[in-house]
Amino acid sequence: MLTDKVREEILKITAKYYNKRSAVMDALMLVQKDCGGNITRGDMEDIADMLEIKPHEVNAVATFYTMYNYAKPVGRYHIQVCRNISCALLEAERVIAHIEDTLGIKTGDTTPDNKFTLSTAECLGSCGTAPMMQINDNYYENLTPDKVDAILKGFE
Amino acid sequence: MATVIINGKTSSVKDGTLILDAARDAGVEIPTFCYQADLMGVGSCRMCLVEIEGQKKLQPSCITPVMDGMSIQTETPQILKARQGVLEFFLSNHALDCPVCDKGGECELQDMVYKHGPVEGRYAESKHRFHEKDYILSPVIVKNSNRCVQCLRCVRVCDEVVGRNVLASLGRGHEQEETSFLRSRLDCDHCGNCIEVCPVGCFMRLPYRYKSRPWDLKGTDTICPYCATGCRMVVEERDGEALRARAQIGVGINSETLCARGRFGFDFINDPRRLTTPLVKKFGKLEPATWSEALDFISEKLSGIEGERIGGLASPVLTNEELYSFQKLMRSTLGSPNIDSSTRWDPVVVENYIAASAMTSGGLSVFDAAEADTLFVAGTQLSDENPIVDYIARRISAERGTRIIVASVRDMKLDSSAGLSIRHLPGGLGALMKAAALSLYESKKDKLQGFAGVERFEGLSADVLLGEAGVSSDELAAITKRFETSATVALTAGTDLLRQSCGILALGLLSDVLKALGKEVLILPILDRANQRGAWEMGVLPGLAPGYRTASKRGLGTKEMIEAAAAGGIDAMYVIGEDPVGENPSGVSAFDALSKLSFILVQDTFLTDTAAMADCVLPGAFPAEKDGTFTNQEGRVQAMRRLKAPPGDARAYLAIIASVSGVLSSTTGVCTKTNSMQVFNEIRKEAPAYAGVSLEFNNRKNKLNKLDNREALAGASEGGFTPVAMTSCAPAAEQRGEGEFYLITGNTLFHSGRLSHSSPTLTGLQKGAALELSEADASALGLSSGEEARVQGNDYEVTLPVRLRKGMRDGVVYIPEFFPGVSVERFFTTGVSLPVVKVKKS
Amino acid sequence: MNCSCGVGKRIKDFVKSALFLDFIKGMHVTLGYLFSKSITIRYPDEEKWIPYQRFRGRHTLNMTSEGKELCVACELCSKACPTDCITVIPMEDDTGIGITDRVAKVWKVDLVRCLFCGYCEDACPTRAVRLSREYELSTTDISRTKFEKRELLLPESVPEQVHGGGIAKAKFVRSKDGIKIVANLGKMKKMRW
Repeated sequence: MLTDKVREEILKITAKYYNKRSAVMDALMLVQKDCGGNITRGDMEDIADMLEIKPHEVNAVATFYTMYNYAKPVGRYHIQVCRNISCALLEAERVIAHIEDTLGIKTGDTTPDNKFTLSTAECLGSCGTAPMMQINDNYYENLTPDKVDAILKGFE
Repeated sequence: MATVIINGKTSSVKDGTLILDAARDAGVEIPTFCYQADLMGVGSCRMCLVEIEGQKKLQPSCITPVMDGMSIQTETPQILKARQGVLEFFLSNHALDCPVCDKGGECELQDMVYKHGPVEGRYAESKHRFHEKDYILSPVIVKNSNRCVQCLRCVRVCDEVVGRNVLASLGRGHEQEETSFLRSRLDCDHCGNCIEVCPVGCFMRLPYRYKSRPWDLKGTDTICPYCATGCRMVVEERDGEALRARAQIGVGINSETLCARGRFGFDFINDPRRLTTPLVKKFGKLEPATWSEALDFISEKLSGIEGERIGGLASPVLTNEELYSFQKLMRSTLGSPNIDSSTRWDPVVVENYIAASAMTSGGLSVFDAAEADTLFVAGTQLSDENPIVDYIARRISAERGTRIIVASVRDMKLDSSAGLSIRHLPGGLGALMKAAALSLYESKKDKLQGFAGVERFEGLSADVLLGEAGVSSDELAAITKRFETSATVALTAGTDLLRQSCGILALGLLSDVLKALGKEVLILPILDRANQRGAWEMGVLPGLAPGYRTASKRGLGTKEMIEAAAAGGIDAMYVIGEDPVGENPSGVSAFDALSKLSFILVQDTFLTDTAAMADCVLPGAFPAEKDGTFTNQEGRVQAMRRLKAPPGDARAYLAIIASVSGVLSSTTGVCTKTNSMQVFNEIRKEAPAYAGVSLEFNNRKNKLNKLDNREALAGASEGGFTPVAMTSCAPAAEQRGEGEFYLITGNTLFHSGRLSHSSPTLTGLQKGAALELSEADASALGLSSGEEARVQGNDYEVTLPVRLRKGMRDGVVYIPEFFPGVSVERFFTTGVSLPVVKVKKS
Repeated sequence: MNCSCGVGKRIKDFVKSALFLDFIKGMHVTLGYLFSKSITIRYPDEEKWIPYQRFRGRHTLNMTSEGKELCVACELCSKACPTDCITVIPMEDDTGIGITDRVAKVWKVDLVRCLFCGYCEDACPTRAVRLSREYELSTTDISRTKFEKRELLLPESVPEQVHGGGIAKAKFVRSKDGIKIVANLGKMKKMRW
């Protein structure tokens, strides 16, 4: 369910666009930030109602972009490791394996204390500094296993 | 015009033509996958890549328009390799469960791989499985996403043609899945067009699931027997059981689209309750008899009765040949002028309707109407009653930017494509059209100096009319503005005009004013029975002979016949395919009236209420069990062929009418023929409008998608007729008081007439009638969706579940026609076209 | 020239007939068979022929080792059949009797029309249809020539471990239905054809 605050913000955003439906991505982002990083069925129905579109259209957008976490709750820190060509050539797989080992989880899972969620992402547009990862809204670049350890420690 | 060179051959095409269309015009075949005629191109499959001189990369021909001087190659080694690669990609994530898949044998992917595919695939990666078991998307649609090739045809057809927009593509990449919101059950039109357009076995019919293989099926061309749109479809059977109906791309006005009724409603043919043998009443009980016994019985009973004391009633779902033979039998063999083709419409109103909707001037293609600058949809719940016309209007309006105005009491799907939707009061359509005509006339008075029929404006005042219509002056101004700025205006004449006859005169007035203003006016009748127009054109009306000639002697209509039966004015009735007792169209009880007759002869496929009280019942055949022609609402005459024999001893109506006329012809010597082609040749002579009609089947897969076969349109009727003037149009509605509502009726999306209630699939989609009313009214009554409400009329009451409708006019309730157990006709007592009912929570 | 040749041939013929050479040549084959082992099978009372593995006899519908029907009722066998002797009507079944939810409601073969070509076997995508080594199909009852799915799903009469063909001793088995003569596979003699 959307909070009143989010509803208000969505209404503000819709005013920016030529038609209401264009605000669907912003609305999803707002909702995701507001409800702890996870979009539910009810949220999508509410957004559809507000933007006067059909729920499945919201669903299509929410499932298309990897930045929306739909139907899979994420932990407090969402780690997304790029595995596209530049990062892959610079051993992104090793970074992923290292994080898996460190946190003791598989890609796609969340740690039992609900702190970290590890997932892989398609190109995040930081190929010059590969391999890289994104934790919540921040980029961490030129990764090595040691650097990863340091970063993860910083969150503890 | 642009000149293009395709494979070295020069041809000249219109600017903006797609390369694909230009190539097909030039006779060059380019394989396609996601491309579907009439849908927006997406160019997602890359099957149609071509080489354009001067461009390094291959281009998708289905979304690339031609440019002048373009040189295109379609069969170079590079293209052939690209096609192989595309198909290899498709198969890399395709379930390949062809032996289990219902589409196996008619799958476009199979055909394509056989023709253009690689010898082997090189992908060793595991395939993405969306789900293990097929899931049910609607009572008629079952889905297997593992087979999806992401062509998006289903999503596009649902949005662009059907207008429901309930499908979307969720996910991305190889996880992309075209489905409903969270794969939930669809609340849609259940039309199954997504099934028809799906090139693979991703969307499948649930009723046809695992019943057969395409090569087992024997199919024949027929015409949908529900509404009068006249959709061409193929019904297919296996071992005598009709299993599915499908439409073909490029065939008929509907091309590949059908509605739920057409696609899933044909299964009444398999009903085990059908009549299979003639029944003759012996000692007050109907007993099976042979044909010769039954015919002897008929001859014995009917030959003693004077011709004028016999009434004839035929259903408007019979073929032209049957209707023509029936009127010939009644008028010439028996000498009775009493003949009618509907239990619902008053013949005088029908005559005026025919005249006002210009049916006498020949057929009008629905495409012409939809391509008019403005299409004024009025008097019909088009999206529910004639869904294919709705599809055509939506598609063409999006493609060409034509304007649609919807004027109705209830909301309808077409509203989303209409620039202007007006909710008028029930019975107020006539006033609305009169107001539009008046306002057009007054604003252009100087231009309309010589307008004939100025007297028709006498005593009309815009304010009063707007009050009657319940429409604001702004809305009226919007309508007239659209009319004024259009060169061609298409008006629909729906069945509501037959219910509320005031609208007929208003339609005539409006079209006259528009014509006087120099606009081209097209009037498209919208009817709800498959051959209603054919029945009128064949002269199955008390006042009209075939070809819209005035009958030599005017007979009784259905209501008068029943009243005459009650009063002892007629002695016998011959009823084909209609059920006056079940429908009770008259003020008097049809049961009581008909029980006074000395002889009732019924020809039907089921033992209806009328048949149950008949003295002799003859078993007939449905479409797909007989040859013949239907004339749809446009005046398009289309032939249908026989697929299988009717069950048991049942015979085609045409053969029965011929046998009956044979045994009764001793005095007059007039017999009817049994061969439908012979009868049609007779019709060509009797009704000159049909003389030039072409019944040619155009059945090949029509690549150019030319749907509009104008040779099938009936011509203008010579001579014409003058309708009996309507003394007064139906009285205006009684004023409603507190807690009272106007009652309107009509067909629903899944049911029209009695026939659809014999179809298990359609009954599964909508079992019972529901009372529809606006949300505001419901909350005032304390009703919510699904609760039961009691509807009370003058001498009839019924309890129905409630369904809320967002866009319905307040103060109006709607109950559908012809639902078993709900005789909505009984609210409409004689002379009242708009009854007032009380609604209470029960 | 001709004269000298004619004389030589006459001498040769005389020697041949005097020594019964043609007769001995002819009798050589007869005598060879007279003293070799008989190839007649005393079918069915004493011996039974066990066909080689590639023999095509009556159809069977195989099941998986878990007892699920392999047949998915795709009707390809019926389509491939040159004599149109196989009838398949599919149905949906979620109870798990087959390997998919599509199983055969009817799988019927008319052996009077069947010419045992084996196309159905080749067409079968799940290797459900196999032509077994069952060849004793003669009957005086025409209804016994049509086989339904449930009869064909029965275990094969000849176990698959018998590879090559051969001749087995027959044995009488008494059952409720009467006396049957079956092959005693323990006493089987392999043949090399």
